[in-house]
Amino acid sequence: MSAALRLAQLQKKDGGEPLSIAVLEKAREAGAHILSGAMLDPSALKELVPDYKDKGAPLASEVHHEHVYFLTKNSKIPFPITPPPLQNHGNYIISLNRFVKWMAGLVEAEGIDMFAGFPASEVLYDEDRVVGVRTRDQGIDKHGAKKSTFEPGVDIKAKVTILCDGVRGNLTKALVRRFALDAGRQPQLYAIGIKELWEVPKGRIKPGTVIHSLGYPLRSEEFGGGFLYSMPDGIVSVGFVTGLDYRDPMFDPHQTFQHFKQHPAFASILQGGQLMRYGAKALPEGGWHTIPRVYADGVLIAGDAGGFMNSMRLKGIHLAMRTGMFAAETAFEAVRANDTSAARLRKYEERIEASEVKRELYPVRNVHQSFSYGLLPALMYSGLSLVTGGWWFKDMPAHAGFERIKKLGEYYGANRPDVDAPVRPAKIDRQLTFDKLTNVHYSGTRHPEDQPSHLIVHDTNICATRCREEYGNPCLRFCPANVYEMVDAGDGRKKLQINASNCVHCKTCDIMDPYQVIDWVPPEGGGGPQYEGM
Amino acid sequence: MILVIAEQREGQLNRASWEAIAAAQQAGGPVKIAVLGAGVAAAATELAVADAAEIVTVEAPALEDYTADGYVQALSALVGAESPTHVFFPHTYQTRDFAPALAARLQRALITDVTAIKKQGDGLVYVRPVFQGKLNADVSAEGPAPHLITCQIGAFRADAAARGASAAAVRKAAIDVDASAIRQKPEAPFKEAKQAVDLSQAERIVAVGRGIKGQEHLQLVEKLAQAIGAEIAASRPICDSGWLPMDRQIGSSGQTVAPKLYVALGISGAIQHLVGMKGSRTIVAINKDPEAPIFEIADFGITGDLFEVVPALIAELSK
Amino acid sequence: MKIAVCIKQVVTREWQLRVNDSKSWIRDQDASFELNEPDAYALEEALRLKEKHGGEVVVCSAGPARAAQVLREALARGADRAIHVESEPLASADAFVIADVLAAAVRDEKFDLVLTGLQSDDQGFGQVGVVLAEKLGMPHATIIMEVQVTGPTMRVKRELEGGWFQWMTLPLPALLTIQSGINQLRYATLKGIMAAKKKEIRKVAPSASTAQAQKILSVYFPEKGKKTQMLPGSPAEAARALVQKLRDEVRVIS
Repeated sequence: MSAALRLAQLQKKDGGEPLSIAVLEKAREAGAHILSGAMLDPSALKELVPDYKDKGAPLASEVHHEHVYFLTKNSKIPFPITPPPLQNHGNYIISLNRFVKWMAGLVEAEGIDMFAGFPASEVLYDEDRVVGVRTRDQGIDKHGAKKSTFEPGVDIKAKVTILCDGVRGNLTKALVRRFALDAGRQPQLYAIGIKELWEVPKGRIKPGTVIHSLGYPLRSEEFGGGFLYSMPDGIVSVGFVTGLDYRDPMFDPHQTFQHFKQHPAFASILQGGQLMRYGAKALPEGGWHTIPRVYADGVLIAGDAGGFMNSMRLKGIHLAMRTGMFAAETAFEAVRANDTSAARLRKYEERIEASEVKRELYPVRNVHQSFSYGLLPALMYSGLSLVTGGWWFKDMPAHAGFERIKKLGEYYGANRPDVDAPVRPAKIDRQLTFDKLTNVHYSGTRHPEDQPSHLIVHDTNICATRCREEYGNPCLRFCPANVYEMVDAGDGRKKLQINASNCVHCKTCDIMDPYQVIDWVPPEGGGGPQYEGM
Repeated sequence: MILVIAEQREGQLNRASWEAIAAAQQAGGPVKIAVLGAGVAAAATELAVADAAEIVTVEAPALEDYTADGYVQALSALVGAESPTHVFFPHTYQTRDFAPALAARLQRALITDVTAIKKQGDGLVYVRPVFQGKLNADVSAEGPAPHLITCQIGAFRADAAARGASAAAVRKAAIDVDASAIRQKPEAPFKEAKQAVDLSQAERIVAVGRGIKGQEHLQLVEKLAQAIGAEIAASRPICDSGWLPMDRQIGSSGQTVAPKLYVALGISGAIQHLVGMKGSRTIVAINKDPEAPIFEIADFGITGDLFEVVPALIAELSK
Repeated sequence: MKIAVCIKQVVTREWQLRVNDSKSWIRDQDASFELNEPDAYALEEALRLKEKHGGEVVVCSAGPARAAQVLREALARGADRAIHVESEPLASADAFVIADVLAAAVRDEKFDLVLTGLQSDDQGFGQVGVVLAEKLGMPHATIIMEVQVTGPTMRVKRELEGGWFQWMTLPLPALLTIQSGINQLRYATLKGIMAAKKKEIRKVAPSASTAQAQKILSVYFPEKGKKTQMLPGSPAEAARALVQKLRDEVRVIS
C-alpha cells in the first residue's frame, strides 16, 4: 500500500506520462489476511501521509501505560523499568487489518487499480529478468480437472514488480531461490505469533495499556513472549510469539498460548470476556543479516517478505512502510529513466543502507540469534547491544529454525512420549482457552472446497514412517489451525490428512517442517481468513 | 376473527393446514377456515371437525390447478368479504409463491415463517428466524388489518388444533374467479430424484460423526434412520473420508438445518458442526465422551457406546 | 432481452453474529459483506440468458452506500450497468419499502425479465421479489430451477415440496425468484474488473417513502429453554427412556 501511495505521490509531483500501477491482493478484500499485535511506530506514516489524522487513520489508542513482566507459573515480576526497545511512548495500538483497509481506501482514491481476490502464483521471467507475475488459475476441482467455470491465470506484465508477499512469501521464496539472493546471508529465522481479539467488561483495563511478558510458559531454551494491548470499548488484543527454532519436537505453540492465557495476570483480564477473533502468522525474526539481496532485474522486495522487522522492538509495520516507499522511489526513477535493470534497482538497497532502516536494524542484528544461548545470556546480550549500539559484536552464527528441532530420541531419550497426545496439555474450557478447531472457526477462514489443496506436501510417505518415528509428526502441533491430521488408513497404519480449508495462511508449516517438503501456495482467489479488527 | 387458509392439492389437505389452525386458535378469538380449489367438499368436511366458526369454500374451475394469479384474485375477494383481523397460512412453497403478492395487492403487512406468537399489549408479536435460524427476531405487523401471517412448518403442533363440540358449518363463498386474468399456465407436477439432497426440508435427521469409526458401520445408522423416518447426515470428517457424499454434510462448510429432531451419533460437537444444526427443535446426542461439547446444546443426551445404544434404540422403536 | 437482477448486500456467512446494544439488529460495523447467495445465482442465470438471447443485464440494489460493493462485483462478472437506490436507512428497511423503491427505479426501463434470489440470507422474509412483481404489474413464479425463453413467453421449472417439480408457462415481461445452487457461478476475471470500472452505476434517490409494513422489535439468540437431560443406565434402559421421551413428551416420532 505504501509503495502504491508513494508512487502516486511521486507521479503527482513529477507530472509526466502517467504510470500504470496495479496492486494485487490475494484476499477477498484488502486487509482480510493481515494481522499483527499491533503497535505502530508512526514515523513512516507521518512521512507518507502527513495529514493522517485528518484522513481518519484508524489509530485505536495511544500508548499510555506500559508494563513488562517476567512470568513464573503463578506470579509476575515486573521489570523495574521498561527496557528501552519495548518503550512505546508516542506509538499507537492499532488493528493492522483496519489500518490496511484504510490505506487501501487511500490507494483507490488515487485511482490506482487494486485487484482483490487475485493471488499471484508465480513470477514471470524473460530469461533472467523479471517481467511480471502470473495470477492463479481459477476453477480447478480438487482432483486437478478443469471445471466448467475454469478461468486461466492472467499474465500481468510490468516494468518493475515490487514483491510484498509477506513473511515466507511464496513469490519471494521462489525468486530468492532462483537468483540465489541469499548467498552470503544468514538463513531467515522465524517466529509464530498467535493472537486473539477479545471483548472484556468495560473498565476492566484502561485503554492504551501495553503489556509484554517473558518467561513462563516458555522455558529458557525457547524464544518468545506474550503481549496484551488494550483498546477503547473493552477491546483487547492478546497473543503469544514463539520462535520457530525450538528444540522440543513435541512443542505446541497453540498450547503454550493457552497456558499463557491461564496465567493469573492475564486470566484476570480476560475472564468473563468474549473471544471475538483468532488468527496466527509467522514473523521474520532473523534481523539484518538474514535480509537477502532485495533487488534483481525488474524486481524489488519490500516489507516482511524481505525480513524487515525489528525483533527487539517487535515492530515491522513502519519498516514495511519505509521499504515500500523506498521501493516506490527507486522504481519510479528507474521507469522514468527507462532502465529497470538490477544495476539501476540497486539504488533501493543503497537507500535502505543509508536510512533509518539500517540504523534501526543493524544494532539489533543478533538478538534472535543470541537466544540460542538461552534466555539469560540473550537478555544480557540484548541489553548490552542496546547500550553500545552493537557495533563491536561479531555477527553470531545462525541456523535455520527447522534444523534446530531435535529428534524424539535425542530430546526424550528413553522416555518417548505418545506422539498423538499433547505433552503439556492446557485445560480447554472453551471460555478462556480453546481447542484449535474452535479457534479456527473464529478466524473466519473459508476456502471453496472444490479445489486442489494449496498445501503441497511433496512426499507424504515420509509422514507415517520416517517423520512419525523421528519427530512424531510435529506438523500436528505447530500448525495453529488443525490443518494436518494423522488419521487411520486402515490396517493399523496412519496417513496424513490435509484439511486445507482450515488454513489461516500463517506459513508455519512451510517454515518449520523438518524435511522441508511442504510448499504453501496461494489457494483460489479470495480464500483465507477474515481478520476483521485484527 | 382470524381467517385460516388451508391448503389442498387434488382434494387432499396439506397437514400443515392443521398447524396454521392451531396457531390461529392459540392467538385467540374466533377462527374461520377457508379452502380454495375445485371440488373441495371432502376437504371442507375434514376441516369441519375443527373448533371454528365456519368453513368457507372458494370454488371455481380456474382454481383447480394452483396459480398465483388465481389464488391472489380469489383471496383478495375473500378477505374483502370476510374482513378478518388476521389471515394465517402454513408457510409452504405454495404460500411463499402467492402470499407476498396478496399482501401487495391488499397493501397489508405480511410476516412470514413465524415460529411463535406472543401477546403484547393489544396486539401480537411474531417470532421468526433470521440469519438462517442463527438468531430469532420479534416482529410486529404495522398498518391496518388484516395482517397476513405464515406459520413455519412444524412450529405449531397439528395435533394441538382443537376440535369443535360439533361439526362447523360449511358455506360456499360467492366468489368468481376470472380465468382470463390468470397469466400462469401450469403443467402437471412431477416427481424427480433430486441430484442433491436438501436436508433443510427433512423433519428428522440422524447425523453421524467420527464415533462411527468405519464406513462399514453406517448400516447401523441407516437402520436407525429408517426406524425413525429420518434422513441421514454427517459431520465433516465423515464426508471428507468419502463415507457419505458431500451433500449430506451439516455444518459451516455444509448445510444448515433446523429439523424437528436431530440425533447426533458419535459427534463431538465442534463449533463448525454446531452452527449448522443448533436451531434444531429437539437435539439428541449419543457420545462416549461425557465432556463432548455436543451435550451442551442437546436436549437429551446418552453417554455411552453408540454401538450398544443404537441397536437398543432400534429394538425399542420396533416395539 | 432486457433483464434486471435485483441483488442485496448481506453480511458474510462466517461473520460472528453479535447483537447490537439496542438489540435491534446485529453489530455490523467493520463487518465483511458479500453478495446474497441466492442473488448470485439469479445473476448467473441472467448472464446465461443474455449469452443465449442477447440483450443487456442491469443489476439493481436498494441499500446504503456500501452496497455499491456488490454492484461492482456484479458488473465485474458481466452485468452491463447498475442502478443503486442509495440511502442509509434502506439498510434496515422491510420488503415493502425496498420493493417500492426498486419498482420506482426500474419501472421506466421496461424490462422483459426481472430476476431476484428467492430470499435474503439475513432477514429472509422472501417477499421483495413477489411484491415487486405485483407493483410492476408482472406475473411471477418463485423458487425457479430452470428458465427457457421462447419469444414472448417463458417456460420455467418450479421447485415444490418433497422432491416435486412443476413446469409452467408465463408471458413476458415477468419476474422470477431463483433458487440457490441451480448453476455454477462464474468467476469475476481481472478483465471483468477492469471493464467494470467503465460501466455505469446510476445513483437514484429513493422515491417518497412507503410506510414500513413490519417492524423488527428485537433480535436475540434463541435460548435453549431446557437443560440437557442426560439419560442414565444401561444402553437398553437409556434407549427405552429416550424413545418414551421422543414419542410421548416431545412427540417428534410416532
